[in-house]
Amino acid sequence: MACVISGLPESIIAAACARSGQRVLHVDSRNYYGGNWASFSFSGLLSWIKENQQNTDLSDECEDWRKLILENEEAIPLSSKDKTIQHVEDFCFDDQDSAEGVEEAGALPKLPVFGAPAAKGVSVGSEESPAEEGVSPGSEESPAAEIPVPESADGTSPSTDSAESAPEPGTTEAAPSESAAQEPKKITYSQIVREGRRFNIDLVSKLLYSRGLLIDLLIKSNVSRYAEFKNATRVLAFREGKVEQVPCSRADVFNSRQLTMVEKRMLMKFLTFCLDYEQHPEEYQDYESSTFAQFLQTRKLTPSLQHFILHSIAMVSETESSTLEGLQATKKFLQCLGRYGNTPFLFPLYGQGEIPQCFCRLCAVFGGIYCLRHSVRCLVLDTASGRCKAIVDQFGQRISAKYFIVEDSYLSESTCTNVCYRQISRAVLITDQSVLNTDSEQQVSILTVPPLESGKAAVCVIELCSSTMTCMKDTYLVHLTCPSTKTAREDLEPVVQKLFNLNTEKETENEELEKPKVLWAVYFNMRDSSGVEKNSYAGLPSNVYVCSGPDPALGNDCAVKQAETIFREMFPTEEFCPPAPNPEDIIYDEDEVEPEESGLSNSAETKPESSAEESSSGADAAVTKEE
Amino acid sequence: MSMEDYDFLFKIVLIGNAGVGKTCLVRRFTQGLFPPGQGATIGVDFMIKTVEINGEKVKLQIWDTAGQERFRSITQSYYRSANALILTYDITCEESFRCLPEWLREIEQYASNKVITVLVGNKIDLADKREVSQQRAAEFSEAQDMYYLETSAKESDNVEKLFLDLACRLISEARQNTLVNNVSSPLPGEGKSISYLTCCNFN
Repeated sequence: MACVISGLPESIIAAACARSGQRVLHVDSRNYYGGNWASFSFSGLLSWIKENQQNTDLSDECEDWRKLILENEEAIPLSSKDKTIQHVEDFCFDDQDSAEGVEEAGALPKLPVFGAPAAKGVSVGSEESPAEEGVSPGSEESPAAEIPVPESADGTSPSTDSAESAPEPGTTEAAPSESAAQEPKKITYSQIVREGRRFNIDLVSKLLYSRGLLIDLLIKSNVSRYAEFKNATRVLAFREGKVEQVPCSRADVFNSRQLTMVEKRMLMKFLTFCLDYEQHPEEYQDYESSTFAQFLQTRKLTPSLQHFILHSIAMVSETESSTLEGLQATKKFLQCLGRYGNTPFLFPLYGQGEIPQCFCRLCAVFGGIYCLRHSVRCLVLDTASGRCKAIVDQFGQRISAKYFIVEDSYLSESTCTNVCYRQISRAVLITDQSVLNTDSEQQVSILTVPPLESGKAAVCVIELCSSTMTCMKDTYLVHLTCPSTKTAREDLEPVVQKLFNLNTEKETENEELEKPKVLWAVYFNMRDSSGVEKNSYAGLPSNVYVCSGPDPALGNDCAVKQAETIFREMFPTEEFCPPAPNPEDIIYDEDEVEPEESGLSNSAETKPESSAEESSSGADAAVTKEE
Repeated sequence: MSMEDYDFLFKIVLIGNAGVGKTCLVRRFTQGLFPPGQGATIGVDFMIKTVEINGEKVKLQIWDTAGQERFRSITQSYYRSANALILTYDITCEESFRCLPEWLREIEQYASNKVITVLVGNKIDLADKREVSQQRAAEFSEAQDMYYLETSAKESDNVEKLFLDLACRLISEARQNTLVNNVSSPLPGEGKSISYLTCCNFN
């Protein structure tokens, strides 16, 4: 089986296939995992932005591979240029020049060059002084050394290299902030660049529903051992120009200071009803044809409670979602609540981009072969059988397989002429404080901003703190997502302006000062191929399966469903991602077992039904195992 | 095995070019075996060995690359939360030594900056085919601030020593960290694996 590109659904399928004994080759033309599901360090994201802003039409496409196609074959060319990202606009709200010459810490410029492209060249000399080295690796522990705190804020702070070369505006500005308690620490662009690898910036912004399909799959398959998670800590609402916390668990409701006793009772009563609304059809059946928003109006709830339930708990559309949709969504939210914490959501440390990689690791552990930086030129179709029999890669190598998984973005325009895509609008901001400051600065928050004008979609805002390992200390990483109506900037900037201070000048109106300051921002549109039916692609053989790119929903159910459906189509009798044996349960019988086989025989021991049957069905289904 | 069976748990991760003997080192240490062929380890994620050091039980979780190093396609998540890295080359293979800087770059990029890195030159049983002198390797490791050791997984030379020394260093490091841990900083440990997150319910 061959898989092209390594997004989430493809990675899950690859893992499932390898797990059930198939031989899997997974190639991706990029040098990173995940495709549009990837996450990047700050410098990585900057290169990604550059790449996607250059509209290089590589029409000098070498078509040498066409010679390799035999008479009884046909080629289905694959696209070599990813066209899924558009309208990329990035903005820096700090003096960008101050960061000139600043290098990411730990970029290893001091390595001896062994013919390898070791150093980036730029920096020599002063930056590599032992002092500098000593500071940056420790910065995770003691960020104070990197940030101009009053003690060292005399402008000659030895720890910042921009201070060595030129006076840095940020440093001097931060100096007066003596009452550091409330005041957010001033982070400059050059610090962001230097601490760039502290950032893991996701191209897609999602959370895991704690009873969603992805969590179930991670647990079932034991892939969860490759990742760590944090709970989202708060659900927020944006109402009358203000950000408020939504009490959603029982404890939250009782402890809430913003709700009156009467409201608490109303809310609890309503939420309790939603948990088993199916048992009480008489409560809602008269409203089945109306919207959920209209239904809420009849439930003796105050306007603020209605807002919380509609936008922050059910997270459904005010104008379009029916009563039943709303009740279902509310129930899902409540069921997920409390499985792992006070909100229904989990977030993977180091970003969502870790998840596809975790499945790739499982695939590799079960013999899958991984090749990044390896592109595929075409699919080779056997004219007689109408099936795809091989791929031809960038070196003209032909690789045979029985099944092929291709991501939508790899299909050429001729294959996709009839396909109609939607778009997702995305924004990523680096800010200096949370949209809602509380006693703890380490918060993972989700906020739904209702449409600012009719006809627009609600915007989902996820704010991540540094302990999610996605941004440097004293910054927040804010993701905004909505289905596109225009360019990402046009869709999202109005919301950004409501929530954040975009001014670069120091003296702004008081109201603006209270808002978090945006230090850096990027907007882009991403293709949403999630709703595309397979038969809308022209001329694809039946053993070529197409995975979509990321969908705009908050959870990951879509990708998991897609992966499972494709896997079942290929191998209807196989189990989908059974648990991998726990290494602690593998008992190595040193004398009796052939060392060569210890891994296999033991996994057979923990999963008795597997090996024999599977490898035989695997043998005729896919390329047989080598060795 | 119960969870309280040890005083310390460390994740050790092996990296280095394909064929330098990473799996053999792990097998030799955890199972006392030297596999003659180069069978890829299918289905084994990491190996575990619990050792006792000064009366304390130390559980070592040793992760192998699962073959992803062959085409330089190791997932970043492999490096996350590793306490120690064993960077391996083959003393009879110049190429495997020349690639070390590339591996170091990956480490810098993805591993925690508190990770302990050990440079290991394997296959000293093949002394007559040596291509990388001890001195060069020692100089390199010094410049990169790494510990350095030569081993033979085949003859079991220095393999115990490699892992036990590493365990000792990890213990003393862990002790220091708990002492210095008054700074509340985001650490990978703050996140939890799913199974450790507690369950409770809305009702």
